[in-house]
Amino acid sequence: MRLNLVLELLDVPGQLLDALDPIGKLGANIVAVIHQRDVKTERGTIPVHISIEGDRETLKRVLKSIEEMDIQIIEVDGVVKKEKITTILIGNIVDKDLKETIKVLNNINGVRVADLNLKMSDNPEESASRIVIEADYGIKKELIRNINEYGKSKGFLVINEI
Amino acid sequence: MKLCIIGFGAVGKGVSKVVSMKKKMLIEKYGLDISVVAVTDRSGAAVNPDGLDIELLIETKEKTGKISDYPEYGISNIPSVQVLDDIDYDCLIEVSPTNIDDGEPARTHMLKAMQDGKDVVTSNKGPLSLNFGELTSAADSTNAQFKYEASVGGAMPIINFAHETLAGNNITSVLGILNGTCNYILSRMANEGSPYLQTLNEAQELGIAETDPTQDVEGIDAACKIVILANSVLNMDVSLKDVKVVGISKITPESIALAKKEGLLIKLIGVASHDNLEVSPRLVREGSPFAVDGTLNVATLRTDLADDVTVVGKGAGSIETASAILSDIISIWKART
Repeated sequence: MRLNLVLELLDVPGQLLDALDPIGKLGANIVAVIHQRDVKTERGTIPVHISIEGDRETLKRVLKSIEEMDIQIIEVDGVVKKEKITTILIGNIVDKDLKETIKVLNNINGVRVADLNLKMSDNPEESASRIVIEADYGIKKELIRNINEYGKSKGFLVINEI
Repeated sequence: MKLCIIGFGAVGKGVSKVVSMKKKMLIEKYGLDISVVAVTDRSGAAVNPDGLDIELLIETKEKTGKISDYPEYGISNIPSVQVLDDIDYDCLIEVSPTNIDDGEPARTHMLKAMQDGKDVVTSNKGPLSLNFGELTSAADSTNAQFKYEASVGGAMPIINFAHETLAGNNITSVLGILNGTCNYILSRMANEGSPYLQTLNEAQELGIAETDPTQDVEGIDAACKIVILANSVLNMDVSLKDVKVVGISKITPESIALAKKEGLLIKLIGVASHDNLEVSPRLVREGSPFAVDGTLNVATLRTDLADDVTVVGKGAGSIETASAILSDIISIWKART
């Protein structure tokens, strides 16, 4: 079977070779490599398209070894991998802004609100909401900036992951 | 080596105790014989070119609150700057109370000592976060040594660690829990589900939070440390006004409970990098290096060669802070001999 991957590599010499090395060693065939150094992600990394062939078990081992090398796989067979981002908002979100907050987040490209939890306080201003967001790889920084700005405009205290 | 100590609160007393406790070891191991020739506080000074008696210094300060009551060698109402002029000393230990409005009078004390070619060791965050460039160039101009390990993270090694142990690395960012009081309050809130104000009051009763806790809980103290790290470790040129600061006073038990259900803790985190200077409550994973309890401090330095390096240690305390000051004194001595 064939697997099309998009890997995210640092723009330093040797990165591509390192990433390709385990593929051959584990017995998979490299069918194609598309590596354009001038196309970069917003983080300054280079997306590299790789097609590999092998049996299911071999390909599984290849994916595992790439992940173990801390190389980010951002797409598998055209499906963009997601990362989970948790944020907590403190403020009176329930009375006025619950629907709007979810809508604002869902409207950002590549972003989906996956989970929402509320904890009410006697003082509505002290209520808290925890939002779990699924986002495409590479947009976390921009997303957190958006959440911070939105929270500020509503007077919420925003607590993000580090 | 003759020391002049300006400020005789918890840190000043701690330094004297440590110097006296380690006297024999310092002579044997480094050939370093330390004497304290002057100590000043708001009341005046105690000055003796042949060395002051450390037990008597501490006893006098604890009994009357005034160092000028030191028998025979006490002087009332003498300004610290004049003491610096009058006596012969090698190294100034500036540990007077922190002033984050204009850094004074500590700034003047340090500049005066440096202009006279004297070495300076300090834990005073005020002038370091407001006048860093001015102080380092003053020290450079007379080849005076200027050390301030104790200003960030108390006993947790970070500044000299970055400069010496990690020498050769390019350090791109520092991320850390830099205020023990906030970490204590947030840890207690997480462990007990107690509200912010109640936890703060308990911390005040235990002496962990000050009577006026504003600088700690509003993140200003951590912001000062971020400025010091940005300037000294990342070679930036910034001051307190460049840091975005949000404190912990609006953190609720509800938010902590929601975080916990997801395996997260809320901590006050400082970030120093070339594109971000910030102190704010953030979510950290339980079980991660940042999930430290109590008054501990922790910091992660991101480097090009050594990758991430994390240090943990006690962020405050008289003897713990004195430990950092003593290490600065020893490294000055080593460089001078």
